Amino acid sequence: MTASGMTMARPKGTFSERFVRFWNRYLLFIFTGLAILYLMAPVIVIALFSFNDPAGKSNFVWQGFTLDAWLDPFGVAGLQSAVAVSLGIAFASTIISTILGTLIALAIARHVFRGRSATNLFIFLPMATPEIVLGASLLTLFVAIGAPPFFPLSAGTILIAHIMFSISFVVVTVRARLAGFPTHLEEAAMDLGANEITTFRKVTFPLILPGVMAAALLVFSLSIDDFVITNFTAGGTVTFPMFIYAKARIGIPPEVNVIGTIIFLTAVGLVALSTVLSRRRTMRDERLARMQIAEDHK
Amino acid sequence: MGGFLRRHKHAVPYLLLAPGLLWLTVFYVLPGFQMFMTSLWSGTLETGYEFALSNVSNYTEALTRFWPQFSRSILYGAAATALTFAISYPLAYTIAFRGGRYKNLLLFLVVAPFFTSFLLRTVSWTIILGDTGILLGPLKEIGVLPAEFQLLSTPIAVVAGITYNFLPFMTLPIYVSLEKIDKRLVEAAEDLFATSFGAFRRITLPLSLPGIFAGSLLTFIPAMGDYVNAELLGNTETTMIGNVIQNQFLTQNNYPTASALSFILMAGILIAVAVYARLLGTDELTAGGV
Amino acid sequence: MNPDPETRGRGLSRRHFIQGSSLAGFAVFLAACGRAGISNAPSAAPSAAPTAGSTSGASVAPSAAVEPTPKPTTSAELNWANWTYYMDIDPDDSNKFKTLEDFKAEYGTTVNYQEVIDDNDGFIGTIRPQLQFGQDTGWDLIVVTDWMAARLIRLGWVEQMDPGNMPNVVANLQDVYKDVAWDPTNDHHVPWQSGMTGLGYDHKKTGDLTSLNALFDLKYKGSIVYLTEMRDTLGLTMLKLGLEPSTATTEDCDAAVAEIKRAQDEGMRAVFKGNKYAEFLKSGNAVLSMAWSGDMIQALLDKPSLRFTIADEGGMLWTDNVMIPNGSQHAYTAQVMIDFCYRPEIAAQIEAYVNYICPVKGADQILLAENPDIANNPLIFPPPEILARLHIFNGLDEAAEKYFNDKFSTLTGLG
Repeated sequence: MTASGMTMARPKGTFSERFVRFWNRYLLFIFTGLAILYLMAPVIVIALFSFNDPAGKSNFVWQGFTLDAWLDPFGVAGLQSAVAVSLGIAFASTIISTILGTLIALAIARHVFRGRSATNLFIFLPMATPEIVLGASLLTLFVAIGAPPFFPLSAGTILIAHIMFSISFVVVTVRARLAGFPTHLEEAAMDLGANEITTFRKVTFPLILPGVMAAALLVFSLSIDDFVITNFTAGGTVTFPMFIYAKARIGIPPEVNVIGTIIFLTAVGLVALSTVLSRRRTMRDERLARMQIAEDHK
Repeated sequence: MGGFLRRHKHAVPYLLLAPGLLWLTVFYVLPGFQMFMTSLWSGTLETGYEFALSNVSNYTEALTRFWPQFSRSILYGAAATALTFAISYPLAYTIAFRGGRYKNLLLFLVVAPFFTSFLLRTVSWTIILGDTGILLGPLKEIGVLPAEFQLLSTPIAVVAGITYNFLPFMTLPIYVSLEKIDKRLVEAAEDLFATSFGAFRRITLPLSLPGIFAGSLLTFIPAMGDYVNAELLGNTETTMIGNVIQNQFLTQNNYPTASALSFILMAGILIAVAVYARLLGTDELTAGGV
Repeated sequence: MNPDPETRGRGLSRRHFIQGSSLAGFAVFLAACGRAGISNAPSAAPSAAPTAGSTSGASVAPSAAVEPTPKPTTSAELNWANWTYYMDIDPDDSNKFKTLEDFKAEYGTTVNYQEVIDDNDGFIGTIRPQLQFGQDTGWDLIVVTDWMAARLIRLGWVEQMDPGNMPNVVANLQDVYKDVAWDPTNDHHVPWQSGMTGLGYDHKKTGDLTSLNALFDLKYKGSIVYLTEMRDTLGLTMLKLGLEPSTATTEDCDAAVAEIKRAQDEGMRAVFKGNKYAEFLKSGNAVLSMAWSGDMIQALLDKPSLRFTIADEGGMLWTDNVMIPNGSQHAYTAQVMIDFCYRPEIAAQIEAYVNYICPVKGADQILLAENPDIANNPLIFPPPEILARLHIFNGLDEAAEKYFNDKFSTLTGLG
């Protein structure tokens, strides 16, 4: 942290000062590289073992190289549907919980109203509740209702549960973005005659977008990886984590590693692609936005 | 719509809150209430349960009996939070201020490992951290470490596991708050305070406090209740309160104790959040009422 | 995973084979060891063994498959929750289960077969409210271990079955499994697979092990795994102390817990693991573990220096059972399905993949011809001298179960 602060190098100073600055700057990048490596280490091992040729049912000791698992990644009964179910639920719950959570974050950060502190406090509770008790009591609720769409259990009930535990994470993340943000931009837009909706679309939303994206990433990773609550609300539906937990008894097949690797590569690849395109797009968007506000004003 | 909103300005925050809070009320508060009732039960699965307010003793008994696991959860949770912070801040800083056009990609690399399964990642860590694994094997081979040195099944492994698994929950909020800092402000401060560290301490760090606060909560709260890392990477001396709740609920079928433990955990977390908010002085910034 | 029997044979052939009719042995063993919780018919052993010497071997299955007369019609679908690797993968299509395809071909029923059980407590926890409210759990067949099966019957959470719907079960269930104390009417559960709990160890590191004392030998400190399954860990410890797990009392429990505590206090640093113990053995994080027989057959393929042994003092025997949970929508078809799996040729087909201990008479005879490696594997069809050393843990009532669990949780850091 100290290092990071000192890296704001200015092109002045003695040789030794410059050396220190250079070193610190260097160190920051080394540190970042190491941190990324640390984050990637398990993924690298997962990818490596997707090429393993295990003699038995488990995939824990390196036995030899093969492409078998890659040539038929869904060659294990139940894997394909499990992955499809998990991706579907993850996308749906990310979209819905991000919207619901962002609205709450906006209300808390941008408005003064009765019950604000209580709402504030309340938001932490779902994050602090042990999953097992949450999952079990949610299941009891569904069974007690005993009618569709809550019962019989289905992918829909899993979705309900995932949205429920994701909302708080969205609220806290988006609020970190909104906290201390000056409101004068919004006020200015309103003064210029833009209504609430336009102000939100043209001013507020672009401002909070990085926070919203970060929140969406977080809750996507929460949803696609949840086992405990899912297990209680799934009924006969099997998600990717449930599939893996059941297999872990004797051995996770390399096909699962392939799927894990593919999900990772696809996600990173898509973002890499969009990175290439994004710069131009943002520049164009900003220009359009400016023109739009001017027009609205007219 | 716009006109309606302008006429009923006071209604706006409630309209914003309504859908999310409704969802939480039905799918969190209702089950939570049922959980609360359960915590005041006595009896067993086979004899049936009875509700009585006097069963509030469930709470005191649970707290005294499982105090070691409670204190261990606080300790591990705090240690993991501190570690994620130490790793995340420089990481988020680099991405926010030096990421350039690769910002999004770098950011994504931080989260993408968590799109693969938790169990797969942990298996990988056991391969890496194992007694004769990729990390310790060579070190033992050349005699740097004694042959009986272990990482797996120790508190170090548990804290390391929690640190790893909640890292993005710290990195992303810090990044989000760093990213919005006006770079010109930092430059001006550097001129003003003469050293870049001074500028960092007086401008960058305070402005990123909301992110640090949010990140700490997103890490500490779930870390306290975590049980999977302790189960897979730990030993009998590293059990956390989450493991006890799991065991009481599923194996012992002791639903009242499991529920009581959950409420104690939640209360403890809320107190910790309040104290932390005071210490960091971010009340007015982020938490308002907390 | 690799269902290829040849690969397996390679691993298995390293082991010494013990010849002889294991079925006969199984019966003898049952007569030999008195078991509480499971009361065996006293005279059953010698007579019920499918003519022990029936060396005619593979040619004739002792009891031919009897076609059930389907009174009601079988349903179009059936929902079955099972443990992983408990059903044979179709050798021609790794996305299908051969036995279930065969069943569909014959009865037209599509089986929605899901491997969702990785833990008795964990799975039952997910359907408990339905069972309590008397709602459909979504499953027509579930598979749980003896003690959980006993608990479900005690709670009245499973459907009664009609033996008339299951002629193959009546004819082919090994006698040892009949008349258990916890299912007095014998019509709420059907055994699916059995397994043994014994010593799993790395022969290269430990040499031959024959005694449970090894589990308490400080020589292996920091490299030893006990199981989180209370009945296995306390059971083996009782055997080590010369106590009888099949009649385990609270005093026996205290003695076993004290013994483990003593070892831990002396610095044993044993790790308690559930499903994960095999990984500890394979990765070298442990050289010695309490282990389940079927898993070790698999682990052997990854690490040939691993061994599984039932120690001189004995080992534990447990069974996973098929049951029909309350509220099942297809209870009749479920029974037809169970019965189908009790045809010796189907049982043999399943066994060739599953590798635990098969409860169906005649399956070994068929395997002897088709897959002698499996039929002769002492871990799959254990010979009499091994069976004689196995014990089934006492069927505990709720109060005793709570006492045992509470004591055990003090060992695992959960009490």
